[in-house]
Amino acid sequence: MKPGYKKVERMTPIMRIIHWVNVVAIVAAVVSGLYIAHPYYETFISDPALDKYVMAWNRWVHFMTAILVDVTSIWVAYLYVIGDKERPWTKLVPTKRNISEFGEVVLNALTLNRRKRFDTKEMDSFNAVWFALMHLLLIFMLFTGLQLYVHGLASGISSIGSWWPWMLHLVTDWTLFVFGGNMGVRYVHHMTMWLIVVWVACHIYVQIWRTIYWQEGDIAIAFGGSKFVKDDKLD
Amino acid sequence: MSDRVEAVKKLFTSKSSRVETNKGDTYYQDLFVKCEARLNEMRAQAPANRLDFSDLLEDNGIDRREFMKWASATTAMLMLPPMFTPLIADAVVMMNRAPVIWLELQDCAGNSEALLRADGPKIDEIVLDIISLEYHETLQAASGHQAEKQMEEAMELFKGKYILFVEGSIPMGMNGQYGTIGASGETFHDHLLRCAENAAAVVAVGSCATFGGIPAASPNPTGAVGVMDVVKNKPLINIPACPANPANMVGVILHYVLTGQVPELDSLLRPKFAFGYRIHDNCERRAHFDAGEYVEEWGDAGAQNNFCLYKMGCKGPMTFNNCSIVRYNEGVNWPIGVGRGCIGCSEPDFWDKYAYERPMADAKIKAPTGGVEKSVDEFGLGLLTATAIGIGIHAAASAVAGKKSGECEGESK
Ligand code: HEM
Ligand code: SF4
Ligand code: SF4
Repeated sequence: MKPGYKKVERMTPIMRIIHWVNVVAIVAAVVSGLYIAHPYYETFISDPALDKYVMAWNRWVHFMTAILVDVTSIWVAYLYVIGDKERPWTKLVPTKRNISEFGEVVLNALTLNRRKRFDTKEMDSFNAVWFALMHLLLIFMLFTGLQLYVHGLASGISSIGSWWPWMLHLVTDWTLFVFGGNMGVRYVHHMTMWLIVVWVACHIYVQIWRTIYWQEGDIAIAFGGSKFVKDDKLD
Repeated sequence: MSDRVEAVKKLFTSKSSRVETNKGDTYYQDLFVKCEARLNEMRAQAPANRLDFSDLLEDNGIDRREFMKWASATTAMLMLPPMFTPLIADAVVMMNRAPVIWLELQDCAGNSEALLRADGPKIDEIVLDIISLEYHETLQAASGHQAEKQMEEAMELFKGKYILFVEGSIPMGMNGQYGTIGASGETFHDHLLRCAENAAAVVAVGSCATFGGIPAASPNPTGAVGVMDVVKNKPLINIPACPANPANMVGVILHYVLTGQVPELDSLLRPKFAFGYRIHDNCERRAHFDAGEYVEEWGDAGAQNNFCLYKMGCKGPMTFNNCSIVRYNEGVNWPIGVGRGCIGCSEPDFWDKYAYERPMADAKIKAPTGGVEKSVDEFGLGLLTATAIGIGIHAAASAVAGKKSGECEGESK
C-alpha cells in the first residue's frame, strides 16, 4: 500500500458474485441472442439433427441467462434498499446534494481530473444513476423477452402449470401495444441489446480511466472488493 | 386524465391469444341447450334461398359419412366437445337462413377468389355457397341503380339480422375520395358505415379489411385503415390472412348461426379457435429449426431437403394462424409446405414488418423519426461507433492533458 493511503471496503462477496454473474449472463445473452437473430455459423454439420441441435442449445443458453438476469435483479433490488455496504438508493434520490455531486462527477471527467470535489471513498451519485440505468435496461429485456417467450405457450399450458403463461401475459402484454405488435417487441428487444453493449463499453472505460487518473485502484473493487483512498480523507 | 386511466387499464387487462379450451361441463351443457333452442327457432323460419344442402352434397358426390367426418373436424376446430357434432351438422343445413351482405372495398377480391376458385367445391365451399348471400358486390349480376336498390331491400328486410362481411380496406385520405361506389359516388367509408348500422355483426375478412393490409403498406398513399378502425359499437370479428382461409370463414359463420354469439376473440379481435396457434409451433420443419439446419439460398441442398426457412425470412415464430394445421384448399398444402417462408399475413402491418426474405434482424427498417432505413444492427453498430469515438477522444485528451491524482499537491478536497 502506498504510504498515506487507506483501504476501504466497497463490495461484499455477495455483491461481487452478482456483478460477475451479470457479466457472464449478459455476454452469453448477447452471443446467443445474435445467433437467434441470425444463425451465423456453420449449419451443415454432418450429424443427425438430434445430436447437434444448434439453435435449440442457443435458445437454451439464452433462456438460462434470462433466468440468471431474473434472479440477480431480485437480489440487486434488495441490496439497493437494504444492502449493508453501498445503499445506492440513497444516492438516487434527487436531493440537492446528490444533484450537485452528479454534476461534480461529470465535471471531473470533463476537466480530465483537474477538478475533483466529491468523496471518492463511497459510490458517487453518477455511478448510482448509471447502474440503475443498466438495471432498468435489463428489466426491460426481461419484459420484452418474456413476451417473445410466451408466444411459444399459445396453448396456455406449460410444464409448471397454466399460471405461468397467464402471469406472463398479464405482466408483458402491454409491450405489444406500446411497440406495435410481435415484430415491434422483437425489434426493441434487439435494439436494447445494443444499448446494453454501449453501456458496457462506457462502464469499462470509466472504471479504467478512474483507476489510471484517480490512482485509487478503483478497478479492484469488482475483484477484491476494496479500493484505496488518501488517508486524510478518512478523518 | 380519466382517458389515460382507461388506456392504462386497457393495457393491463387486454385479452391475449391464450386459448381456454375447456370451460367445464356445466358451461357446455348450458350452451348445448341454448344452441338446440336456437336451431329449433331457425328451423321454423323460412329459408332465405331455396338451395338445399343435402342436394348440393349429393350433386358433388359427397356422401353422408364424409360430411359427418367434416362436421366432427369442424366441431373440434371450434373447440367444442364432440357432443356438438350433430348440432353443427344441423346448423350447416340451416345456413341458408343466415342472411349475409358482402362488401368489396379497396382490395384485390382475393378472399372471394379463395372461396370460388377451389379446384372442386369441397364441403367448406359448399357451405359458403348456401349461405344466403343477399348482396355481394363482386358476384351479383345487378349493377348501378338496380344493385343499389337490391342492397337497400336486403338491408330493410333483414334489419338487425344480417351478417355484414367486409373485404378490403377503407381509404380515408382525401375525404375518402380514393374509393367510391355506386351511381351516387358514395365513399367506401360512408358505404361501410351505412351497411354496418343495422348489421347483427360485422366480419372483416382478409388482411386488408382487418388491419389495412397491402393498401395500408408504407407509405399508405390512400390512408387505408381496417374495419376495426372505423366501425365501433358493433360485434366485430377479424379473420385476417391473405387470403382468409375459407375454413375459418365457415367456422365463424357456423359458430354464429349455432350459438348466436361471436366466438372467443384475442386482443386483435381474431377468433382464438383459428388464431390461437403459432405457425412455428405447428410447423413440419421445426426440427430443422432447432437443429440449426437452414435453407441459405433458394434451391440449395437445404431447400431440397426441406430445411427450415428461417434464414429465408420465415416469420412463423411471430405469426399466429392455423394454416399450418388446416392448410389451404381443403388440406392440400400451405406456404411452408411448398418451401416458402411465412410472411406473417395474419398479423397487423404484415407487408412492412413481415413480408421480406430475410430474418427481422437483417431487414431495413425506418427509424421512428422516419428518414433513412437501416437494419437494427446497423443502428446499433452506429451507436457503438459513436460511443467508441467519444471514448477515444476522451482517452486521447486524458493521455495528453489528464492530471493524475497525487502527482502534484494542492488538490481541492
Ligand atoms: C442482456 C440481456 C439480453 C440480450 C442482450 C438479449 C438479446 C437478444 C437478441 C439479440 C435476440 C434476437 C432478436 C432478433 O431476432 O433480432 C433475442 C431473442 C430473444 N430473447 Fe433475448 N436478450 C436478453 C435478455 C432476454 C431475457 C431476459 C429474456 C427473457 C426470457 C429473453 C428472451 C428472448 C426470446 C424469447 C427471444 C426470441 C427467441 C426465439 O424466438 O427463438 N432475452 N434476445
Ligand atoms: S420454416 Fe418457419 S415456421 Fe417452420 S420452423 Fe422454420 S422458422 Fe419456424
Ligand atoms: S404461412 Fe404465414 S403468410 Fe402463409 S398463409 Fe400462413 S400465416 Fe399467412
